[in-house]
Amino acid sequence: MSVEYIPKELPEEEHDVNEDRFVASAVKNRTEQLTAYKNIDLATIPLLFLLFGGISVFLFALTVGDWDFWMDWRDRRWWPLVTPFSLILLPAVLGVFMWNKFRLPLGATFAMMSFLAASWVSRYTNFHGFAGFPLNFVSPSTWVGLGILLDCTILVSRSWFITGFVGAFLFGLLTYTINWPIFAPFRIPVDYNDTMVTVADLMGYMYIRTAIPEYVRIIEESTLRTFGEAVTPLTAVFAGFVTILNYYLWVWVGHKVMKSRWMDKLI
Amino acid sequence: MDKKIVVMLLCVISFISFSELALAHGEKAQQAGLRMRTMNWWDLEIYPKKVAINEVVTVKGKFSPSIWWPRHMSNPEDGMAYLNVGVPGPVFVRIDSRVNGVPMIRSAQFKKGETYDFEMKLKARTPGRYHVHPVISVEGTGPIIGPAYWVEVTGDPATFENKITTLTGEVIDLETHGMPQIIGWHAFWVVIGLLWMGYWLRNYPVLMPRYKEVVRLGSKANDMITFKDMAVGIVFFGGVLMAIAGSYFWTQTQYPITTPLQTGEVEVLPLPSQGDTISLKLHKARYRIPGRSFKIEMDVTNNGDSPIRLGEFMTANVRFINKEVLGKIERQDDLDLIALEGLQVEGGPVQPGETRRITLWAEDALWETMRLTSLVYDPDSRFAAMLFFFDDEGKRYHLEVGGQMMPTFS
Repeated sequence: MSVEYIPKELPEEEHDVNEDRFVASAVKNRTEQLTAYKNIDLATIPLLFLLFGGISVFLFALTVGDWDFWMDWRDRRWWPLVTPFSLILLPAVLGVFMWNKFRLPLGATFAMMSFLAASWVSRYTNFHGFAGFPLNFVSPSTWVGLGILLDCTILVSRSWFITGFVGAFLFGLLTYTINWPIFAPFRIPVDYNDTMVTVADLMGYMYIRTAIPEYVRIIEESTLRTFGEAVTPLTAVFAGFVTILNYYLWVWVGHKVMKSRWMDKLI
Repeated sequence: MDKKIVVMLLCVISFISFSELALAHGEKAQQAGLRMRTMNWWDLEIYPKKVAINEVVTVKGKFSPSIWWPRHMSNPEDGMAYLNVGVPGPVFVRIDSRVNGVPMIRSAQFKKGETYDFEMKLKARTPGRYHVHPVISVEGTGPIIGPAYWVEVTGDPATFENKITTLTGEVIDLETHGMPQIIGWHAFWVVIGLLWMGYWLRNYPVLMPRYKEVVRLGSKANDMITFKDMAVGIVFFGGVLMAIAGSYFWTQTQYPITTPLQTGEVEVLPLPSQGDTISLKLHKARYRIPGRSFKIEMDVTNNGDSPIRLGEFMTANVRFINKEVLGKIERQDDLDLIALEGLQVEGGPVQPGETRRITLWAEDALWETMRLTSLVYDPDSRFAAMLFFFDDEGKRYHLEVGGQMMPTFS
C-alpha cells in the first residue's frame, strides 16, 4: 500500500543529473528512493520505540511509581485512577503525531507496546535481577489492548473529540478490567497469623522493603463508598472521565507541537 | 602526559584501596540528636548467626520511643509506625513479626516512654553476609534504625521455596505464584498489538511515502484510509472489547473468591510499667568535645528496698558499660557498638529511700566514629539516653534521662 505513494516522476534508469545542475539530490532514481525510504523506516521506528519506551517508563516512575511497581499497591481505588490518567499522555501526543503526519492510527498502540517492553526490561533487571524481588510481585500491568481501542477510535471516527470521548473513556474505564486476569491470583485471601490478607499483601509483608513500610501504601483510601460495594465500577467510570480530560489536554499539546517549525524541519 | 596518567591511575587505585566498604544501612547518617532522642533499643538478640537457605533467623529485643522525641518530628504515638527489618532487600523473607505478641503485618501506634518487646522470624533466601537491624518506620519521620549483628547465609538460592496455604485451601509457592497468568496474558496482548501494528506497517516503507501523501492531499488526507482499513479497525475494536470482557469473566470463573487488598492498623498495649522504683532529676549535662566525654550530673532517688547502681548508659544504639557493675562483656561481632569500659560513675550505690547526686562520664572513641560529636551542631542541643540500674540481686531497672546539653570546647 505504502509503496504506491512513492512519486512516479523519478526515472527508472540512472541519469547523471550533475551534468544538468550543480546541486543534485542524493537520490537519483526510484530504486534509490525506495531504499532510502526503507532505511528511514528501519532507523526511525526502532528509535521511536526505544525513545518512547524510555520516556514512558521514566514518566510512569515519576507520576505513578510504587502504585504500579508492586502487586500489593494495585488496589481498586487509586491504581485504576492514577495510572490511566498519567499514562494517557504519550498515546495522546504520539497519536496526534502518527495520525497528522502519516495517517497511521498507531500512536497509542505503539506507545503502549514500547512502554510494555521498557517496563519488562526495567522490572526484570532492576526489581528482579538487581533487587531480588520475585518477578510475579513486580511484573508490569498490561495496556496494549487499551492502546488499540484508542487507535481504532481515531481510525473509525477521524475525530479527536470522539476519540477522546470514546477511546480515552474506555482507556480509563477498562484499565482494571483488562488487568484483572493478571491481578486475580494475587487477591486470593489468606489467613496469616490470625490476620486476613490477600496473597499480594502477604508478599508485600514477606519480601522485605526497608523503605516501604506498610502504612506508606496509599490503597483503599477515599470516600467513594456511596454505591456500597461497587467500588471498582465507580472508580472505573471516574477514571474514564478524568482520562478524557487529560487526553484532550495532551492532544491539544500534540497539535501545538505538530505546528511548530522545528517539527516540520525534523521531518 | 604519560606521567600524568600514571599519577591519576595511582590516585584512583589508592582511593579504592583505602576506602572503607559501605556495608551497613546509614546508622550514622542521621543527626546525632535525632538518633539519641527517637527510639531506644536494647536487649537485641539475633540467632543463629549462620544459617542455610530456608532456615530461620530470630531477631528479638526491646524498644521504647523516647519521651524526649523532637517536637518537630512526627512520632509513633500520634501517627502510624511499623516494625520493619533493615537488610538489603528480600534476602530474607519475614515469616513472622510481633510486638508484645501482636502480629505486626499491619501498622500500629507506640506510646512515648513505654516499653515494647519485639520478635521477628526471618527465613533465609539469598546467600551472603548481612547486617541485620530491627527498624521502626514512623509515618512522617522515616525509618529509625536499631542496632545490628551480622548474619551469614549459605546454600543454593535455587532451593528456596515459600509455600503457603490460602483460605481456599490451595497450597501455593509465592516465588512463582501467578506467573503463568502473567506471562500468558501479556503474551496474548502483545500478539494482538503486533497484529495491529503489523497490519499498518506491512507495506514497508511506510513513513516517508505516507508523509508525502499526507502533505500532497492536505485536507483530504483522510482519503488515504481505505474501506478495508476501516473494516479492520472495526474488527479490532470489537475483538479487543470482547477479549477484555471474555478474559474478565473467564478469570471470575477461575478465581471466584477474591478480596480487596487489606490494610489498616492493630492495637498494641505496652508492657506493664516497672513502677517508680527509681526516679531521677537531671542537674547538668556537659559534652567535652576534645575528650569525647559526656558528663551527666543527676539526682537519683531509690524508692525500692535494695541498693541500686548504674551499670549502663545507652544512647543512639551505643552502649557504655560500667565494668564494676556488669563485669566483662564480650563483643558479639566487629560492629557491635559497645564501649566495654566506657562508663565511669561517681556517687556510689543509692541506698533504699535515699536521693543521691550521681555523676557519670561516658567516654569512648565511638562518640566520634558514630558521628555523635555533631550533637553540638543540632539546633536545640538536647539529648536523651537510657540508663540501666541494677540492684544487689541483679534485677535491672531502665530509666530514660534527657534534657539540655552544654558543650565545652577545651
